[in-house]
Amino acid sequence: MASRRRMLLKVIILGDSGVGKTSLMNQYVNKKFSNQYKATIGADFLTKEVQFEDRLFTLQIWDTAGQERFQSLGVAFYRGADCCVLVYDVNVMKSFENLNHWREEFLIQASPSDPENFPFVVLGNKVDIDGGNSRVVSEKKAKAWCASKGNIPYFETSAKEGFNVEAAFQCIAKNALKNEPEEEIYLPDTIDVAGGQQQRSSGCEC
Amino acid sequence: MTEAYPQIDPTTFDLIIVGTGLPESLIAAAASAAGKSVLHLDPNPFYGSHFASLGPDELSAFLSSSSFPPSSSSGEDPATVSLTTRPLYSNVEISSLAPETLEEHARKFNLDVAGPRVLFCADRAIDAILKWSTNHYLEFKAIDANFICVENGKLMRVPDSRSAIFKDKNLSLIEKNQLMKFLKIVQRHLDPDEDASSKVSQEDLESPFAEFLAKIKLPPKIKSIIMYSIAMADHDQDVEACKNILKTKDGIDRLALFQSSVGRFPNSPGALIYPSYGQGELPQAFCRRAAVKRCLYVLRMPVVALLIDEENGQYRGIRLASGQDLFSPKLILDPSFVFPSQAGSSPEEPVHVFSEKAVEAKVARGICITRSSLKPDISNLLVVYPPRSLYPEQDITVRVLQLGSTSAICPPGMFVLYLSALCNDATQGKKLLNTAISAIEVSQISERNAGVKNEDAEVEPPFIIWKAIFIQELSAGKYGSICSTPSPDGNLNYHDLVDAAEKLFHATYPDEAFFPETASPENADEDNCPEDDGPLEEA
Repeated sequence: MASRRRMLLKVIILGDSGVGKTSLMNQYVNKKFSNQYKATIGADFLTKEVQFEDRLFTLQIWDTAGQERFQSLGVAFYRGADCCVLVYDVNVMKSFENLNHWREEFLIQASPSDPENFPFVVLGNKVDIDGGNSRVVSEKKAKAWCASKGNIPYFETSAKEGFNVEAAFQCIAKNALKNEPEEEIYLPDTIDVAGGQQQRSSGCEC
Repeated sequence: MTEAYPQIDPTTFDLIIVGTGLPESLIAAAASAAGKSVLHLDPNPFYGSHFASLGPDELSAFLSSSSFPPSSSSGEDPATVSLTTRPLYSNVEISSLAPETLEEHARKFNLDVAGPRVLFCADRAIDAILKWSTNHYLEFKAIDANFICVENGKLMRVPDSRSAIFKDKNLSLIEKNQLMKFLKIVQRHLDPDEDASSKVSQEDLESPFAEFLAKIKLPPKIKSIIMYSIAMADHDQDVEACKNILKTKDGIDRLALFQSSVGRFPNSPGALIYPSYGQGELPQAFCRRAAVKRCLYVLRMPVVALLIDEENGQYRGIRLASGQDLFSPKLILDPSFVFPSQAGSSPEEPVHVFSEKAVEAKVARGICITRSSLKPDISNLLVVYPPRSLYPEQDITVRVLQLGSTSAICPPGMFVLYLSALCNDATQGKKLLNTAISAIEVSQISERNAGVKNEDAEVEPPFIIWKAIFIQELSAGKYGSICSTPSPDGNLNYHDLVDAAEKLFHATYPDEAFFPETASPENADEDNCPEDDGPLEEA
């Protein structure tokens, strides 16, 4: 069980509504982009197999399911994350300013055992808009913030054009993998309620 | 992002729900899955309301804040009725004997407001979890052992399966045979292939379970195990004046639930499981499921008034603490809100759709943080103190659930005891819990002394380092132009609460299904909902 748990990496994506969290996930996992913005609905989590040093891992990427809109994410969402992705829109200053809030919120709610070294990755999204003419947050400014928070890796992305998305998620996967597991409080004998049901329906009852 | 109260958009919904306890969360998930537009609010900064799991300080604050109705400024506006809360908790006593230790680990505690509560592996809460695929968000731990207090305060392990009965050292061979014989009668009765002659008679089914057990000549010890540790009866079933007689048919149903729970899941040897990180995880899982189905969530948002149609006195909407007005044809409130009489003067009076099972109006609850386990080698366990096991006049069962750090509810080296007992008043409730706590402390001291020979050993630190005891009002749900969800009940499981949520949902939306039709509710019908559903439940 313990080794199986390590094969699954939980990644959560945080950031203001409308910065492109769901689009980034979809571009990375499904290579799809929808121009039509819908405040996130129907998105739960996406999974993708990734290979790293000859081993296969399942990246489980959790969307906020819209619960970030009124800062109502609840502690259960943050639990057991191996990497936290912070997303802002390079064209909206407020979304950049709020990165600090999201980072702090994560550290409080998830309370990782080693908050200093917990892996974050920052994505500045929507660099494609208006050929970059409408951007208000410079790359330099974003990088300075990342450096001040313990050298958080930084990527500029366009979920619409698929620009840099693959590279960003490679980094996310790598960092998630490096995250030391929490004290293994839930590993050895967690009950698999879905598996038990299958066994039951196959008539195995004593 | 820091403004006190955000504006909510849109302003009209099919359904507004206030409170994020388990029944409210189930209804939110069901209504959202049925395509209704739902706004789900909670005045607290956390999910779960009366079903939350909190740190010691948060819990203390929650119990006391819910004990005082806020001052309601009576509005001049005839189109509004101010909404007040009533105290659901009273006689709150909290004592901390090691504040520094608690402070140091404060973030590691997830204490249940409505404990002790567990899931039976075959109960309706598990059905709900599987049907809504909320098992992706949850992890469970087994309750490893089930004890009952028998004569002179001794705890006996309840044999919960055939092999356990066979191996049991506390039962004589005759007792084992009697118990096996009884289980066969029940099994034949429940077997759909058996003919009517091998079933328990209709007359017996309607008679008290205690009489039925006596009729088949079960000795008192076995009767007590079946009645209080398996059928989980609350009241003394052996007195004439018992206010809540368990009928044989209900007793057999509870036995069947227990038996089908044992061994249902590979890693759970017993019948009972508990969610890691506390029972507050359950409402959060259903709220996330609702959010995925477009339900809008706003925490930290108090509701101050109801908007009423001046013509006919009907409910129209709510006024938030922000001053914003929101509208919906239906409103569901958690049980801490007072039903406003004005709004109830509509043609449809609030109707009780639930039979109140407990005669008592209250439940006494206790939470103790301890430094050692009741049993050296078991951390998650249930202890039942049946009537008359603690003191001669004890007429109500006291249940104690111990959970350890493996359930991620407290730091390693500590344990949490949850106690509950139905009661008519605070004096009775506190006597029940305090006597049980004393019995536990005495058994701990004798256990320690048995192990320590050195007489002048240094003074042991106290066994209990934090304790909360309080009385909670019980209320069943109400259906009307405004609905009210039930309070946490005095039961050990969520069975009746899931039932109540389903009834409320059906009363509100008679044509909609409470559970999603398909086993896998993930709809891949939209571009941004491509769920790649791997075998995640094995995580």
